Amino acid sequence: MRAYLATTRGSFLAYLAYRSGFIFSILNNLVYITIAFFLWRSIFQGQETLRGLTFDQTFLYITLASSLMVTLKTWTDWEISHQIVSGSIIMSLVKPVKFQWLMMSQSVGFSVMNFLTVVVPSVLFLVFVFQVPFYSGIGLLFLPLALVFSFVLNTTIDYMIGLTSFYTESIWGISATKDIIILFLSGSLIPLQFFPDWAQQTLKLLPFQAMYHLPLMMLIEPEQPVMTYVMSLGVQLFWVAALLALARLFYNRAIRVLRVAGG
Amino acid sequence: MQRLRYYLRIYFLIETQYIKSKMQYRDDFIISGIGMVFSSLTTIAVFWVLLASIPDLAGWNFDQLVFIYAFYMLAISPFQILFDHFWQLRFHVIEGTFIKYYFRPLNMMFYYVSEMFDIKGVVQFVLGIAMFIYASIRLGVVWNLPQVLLLLVTMISAALVTISIMVIAACTSFWIYNSYPVLDLARRLREFSPYPMTIFDGFFKLMFTYIIPIGFVAFYPAQIFLNTGSNSTAVYLSPLIGAATFALAYWVWMKGVNGYTGTGS
Amino acid sequence: MALIEIEHLSKHFKLLNRREGLKGAFLDLFSGNYRTVKAVDDISFSIDEGEIVGYIGPNGAGKSTTIKMMTGILQPTEGKILINGIEPYSNRISNARRMGVVFGQRTQLWWDLPVIESFKILKEIYAVDDQTYRQQMALFEDLIGLKKLYPVQVRTMSLGQRMLCDIAASFLHQPKVVFLDEPTIGLDVSVKARIRDVIRELNRTQNITIILTTHDLGDIEALCQRIIIIDKGKLLFDGPVQRVNQLFGVYRTFKAQIFDYNDTTLDRLKALVQDRFADPDAVHVEENENFWTDIIINQEKAPLREVLNLVMSKFELEDIRIVEISMENVVQKIYDGALL
Repeated sequence: MRAYLATTRGSFLAYLAYRSGFIFSILNNLVYITIAFFLWRSIFQGQETLRGLTFDQTFLYITLASSLMVTLKTWTDWEISHQIVSGSIIMSLVKPVKFQWLMMSQSVGFSVMNFLTVVVPSVLFLVFVFQVPFYSGIGLLFLPLALVFSFVLNTTIDYMIGLTSFYTESIWGISATKDIIILFLSGSLIPLQFFPDWAQQTLKLLPFQAMYHLPLMMLIEPEQPVMTYVMSLGVQLFWVAALLALARLFYNRAIRVLRVAGG
Repeated sequence: MQRLRYYLRIYFLIETQYIKSKMQYRDDFIISGIGMVFSSLTTIAVFWVLLASIPDLAGWNFDQLVFIYAFYMLAISPFQILFDHFWQLRFHVIEGTFIKYYFRPLNMMFYYVSEMFDIKGVVQFVLGIAMFIYASIRLGVVWNLPQVLLLLVTMISAALVTISIMVIAACTSFWIYNSYPVLDLARRLREFSPYPMTIFDGFFKLMFTYIIPIGFVAFYPAQIFLNTGSNSTAVYLSPLIGAATFALAYWVWMKGVNGYTGTGS
Repeated sequence: MALIEIEHLSKHFKLLNRREGLKGAFLDLFSGNYRTVKAVDDISFSIDEGEIVGYIGPNGAGKSTTIKMMTGILQPTEGKILINGIEPYSNRISNARRMGVVFGQRTQLWWDLPVIESFKILKEIYAVDDQTYRQQMALFEDLIGLKKLYPVQVRTMSLGQRMLCDIAASFLHQPKVVFLDEPTIGLDVSVKARIRDVIRELNRTQNITIILTTHDLGDIEALCQRIIIIDKGKLLFDGPVQRVNQLFGVYRTFKAQIFDYNDTTLDRLKALVQDRFADPDAVHVEENENFWTDIIINQEKAPLREVLNLVMSKFELEDIRIVEISMENVVQKIYDGALL
């Protein structure tokens, strides 16, 4: 465990070595928030609610989804891909640690830094400039754990995407496809409520909504019965278990390319 | 003329080498194409989902939005095909490998541009044409000679605006090294250009029209062909804006190139 | 029992045959035409605790492939490896805990961090206790003056500094065995000497087994008691360094750039030396690139001074150099039966 904590600390420090771009990352998120404000204002066109959501709820949902996305963006897939293509993965494999955990502990460090440097200022901006109301209720108690699950789901997917480099040299295509699929199907671009019923039913069977939609609902509708949130955590936990198992299987297969064919 | 032929020949030579080296990565070649199709179709899907809940988006219906988006895809594909590696400019600047571009008797921007040809951009271009034709037919847009000429002019201007914004963002690496956040910001702005500019209020509308003219990447020029009678006069500024932003981008590039000292430190 | 035991080890790779030209590159997109390469072919040896073994051979001989199998990264196609009684491939993590690795071209240190941070992270990764950590860091301070490098970012270090830190890092957790792959590559003579001293000192004080692959015969002479030579995946020689040393010692390569070099020059030179020294092993002439000619001299059979005088009396030389015999020539000599 201490080995992984030390790695997290290292990624913390490495993040700070490249601190010059902070301001633009914050600006980027603020620009998105501003544009989303105008876009959704024009979508609501003065109506009180659409699909059971008020404008305030929707706006909060969209902007926090974007902030969550910034938090989770740790480039784990690109890092793994870089290691595989350049061959420096052998320096990770000669260490007495599990490769997946090594990568995950690095991404914890990046996530925390992203959160502190980009998300916190954005949320302050939301509160003070757009005067977005935050809601309180029992749902918020479940949020921290739900966010941890989101993180695990996200890095596990990134990890698997990174491993595809054993087969494909560069991961631009597959990584971009993953980003866009998660963006759209997780409900972070448009809340799931806006999708047609059949699409909503289908998306609930996929892991992506567990990453964004479920935790965000805890924030914008925190006054539902406790069971709702327990169920949400249950769904997330199911996907965490399923994806971790899948990742292990995939690692064992992918690493054979290196081990048997020499990479 | 001699000079042009010389540049064309060099361009072809460098480009062939690039494509050859790229084709070794065969799976990536196919997956990138698929990725491009997915990311293009997602915006269409967003329009479709939104218009399932509301009758129109700021007065525009689905087919019109597809038309504007198709215009956008065509307008950004020259950037994608020829300039996409400006995303990597920062690595050359940081690691000092940018120095090699000074060593040839060629225009440096030309030399840098000629070093890459993005095949997935071609996928984007083809997809853009298909959508453009689809939406034109659905909307009954009339294509006579003046219209086609107007399309070419506005399209080239829109492409220049896209290229210029991204080039300027990439060139910031000459001063701040890690230009990724700036490029990402520029991309984010660009991605909103197929949305109706009319959703914005005064200040932001002015900004996206004249200061960071993303309105000219798709929405303003595409409007001309939709015969809505709502064209603002800004629409006809298109070629001027295109030329002006590119001149600015080239100036920034030259400034960066001339001030570059060789290594990142 | 020996620390490392390797029996009938083989590793085969499948490689895609690439075609030429734009058309070929395009065709390769759709079809595969593979060939099998035997990177390592039926190798056996064993190594005892505390030894420094030179594992050498020309480029592509299969050295790194063997090392990668010993470190548990590659799976052998056939045969068996036991290190400390365990199979590295099936027990990667427990094997990794007891070994250190330096791959000359890559670093195990964190690129963007001050070097001390890397040591702190490695301390946790290898679960080194505080006392051992302090003791090892004090040792590194004595050997390489590590302290003044603590705040330096790895990417801003010189290659020599980085290599010293990398070597120290690989000994931090007092491993049973350390693999050093080309530790002196690209370094100048004084830094090389320093690195050899450090390696020797670490081996002596900590009784750690070291397996050294290198192109530099100077490394071998300075460090190893024993060498193993492989070529084209096969074991060529395994024995005390002295025997091979005799071979390195007596041979010199006299490199000459001949004035007015033309098609007949090489033949005239060959005829000249054969005339004087009949034994083909005494002097051997071969063409090198850029108009350089190599004259390989066995000093026991042909005194260097005589060969120099002979050549200079008949040819005008632009430039000369006398160097030790190269890896490729050592391997060639062994093929020719020099050690039998």
